[in-house]
Amino acid sequence: MSLLILNGSPRAPRSNSKRYAEAFCRYWRGTVETENLLRGDVNALCAKAGEADQVLLVFPLYADGLPTVLLSFLKDWTRSMGEKKPTVSVLINCGFYEPEQNRVAVEMVRLFCKQTGCPFGSVLAIGSGEAILDTPFRFLVRRKLRKLAGAMAHGRAVSLQCTMPISKGMFLRASTTYWTRYGQRFGRTAAELDTMEIEEGT
Amino acid sequence: MNLLLTDRPLTVSLPEGWEMVDLSQQTIAPCLGCFGCWTKTPGRCVLRDDAVAIYPRIAKSSRVLYVSAVVFGGYDVPMKTILERAIPIQKPYIRLLDGETHHVQRDVAPKDADIVAYGADTQEERDLFRRLVERNAKNMNFTAVRVHYTTMDQLDETVGEVLAQ
Repeated sequence: MSLLILNGSPRAPRSNSKRYAEAFCRYWRGTVETENLLRGDVNALCAKAGEADQVLLVFPLYADGLPTVLLSFLKDWTRSMGEKKPTVSVLINCGFYEPEQNRVAVEMVRLFCKQTGCPFGSVLAIGSGEAILDTPFRFLVRRKLRKLAGAMAHGRAVSLQCTMPISKGMFLRASTTYWTRYGQRFGRTAAELDTMEIEEGT
Repeated sequence: MNLLLTDRPLTVSLPEGWEMVDLSQQTIAPCLGCFGCWTKTPGRCVLRDDAVAIYPRIAKSSRVLYVSAVVFGGYDVPMKTILERAIPIQKPYIRLLDGETHHVQRDVAPKDADIVAYGADTQEERDLFRRLVERNAKNMNFTAVRVHYTTMDQLDETVGEVLAQ
């Protein structure tokens, strides 16, 4: 069974989606090929997607929905889709704590499938996805990735989710530390990151 | 300030206090996902195209009217592109809102929002789009939001009615 993984992240070559896709591949025993949608040859990507038995869309939640790069591709694919309809699965992550915040974006892919006749497959929705791979809780993600790969390999449709097993208060404190350190790498203080100004000064 | 963002040209009379931006006449690249607007130049996008004149106006507006085609239950590419490029108006930091984690807003006016959506032909797609807008309300500082479904043929009329309300 051939699988095509499509990375729908706007920063595909250095994205968390790339890391999630790579981690998924450790548990996938069949043929797999991975492509970035960003700056890809749309016609070639659509042709490849049309030849695969399964397609796994890996992407981050963007403004409550699908990133533009993925949305554009799905529109193009709809127009060029042939007779063969691959099963489409979703591996989505968001930076928020709650994996449930990914639901609307997942439903958008489900609607795409309904409109194009592609079977909808499985879902893994990840919360705290910006940071979880760099924490001791990465094993939780790997466990779910293994389940996702197993379900897809056996043609079962599952809906999985995971996030950090900490309180929301702890998550808020951890995320504040995460972003403050992120800014420090560019010489920015926490107060500068916290500015109320928009497009005024630098 | 009141802002009308549309993904196609409209022939409508704007009431006093309203500005219109026709996204089809703007050059706006997709978000790079670089987090530069949060961590390198907070509040400023590193891409210096037409979006940098639009997201500050989104932030300042207390009434917004977004006009967009609907694709797969969400905004079509032009509207989605500017909404993604508007993340400089949020901080990287996270807060709890209604018990859920969301980004803290910078100097963003609370908004009374209307969304005029065309091209959503089925009830299923309309229901999904409404769910999306409800999610937007939390992340885009909407205090109230109404969705108006219409067709491309009726777009000017529907927008005119909403502006007259």
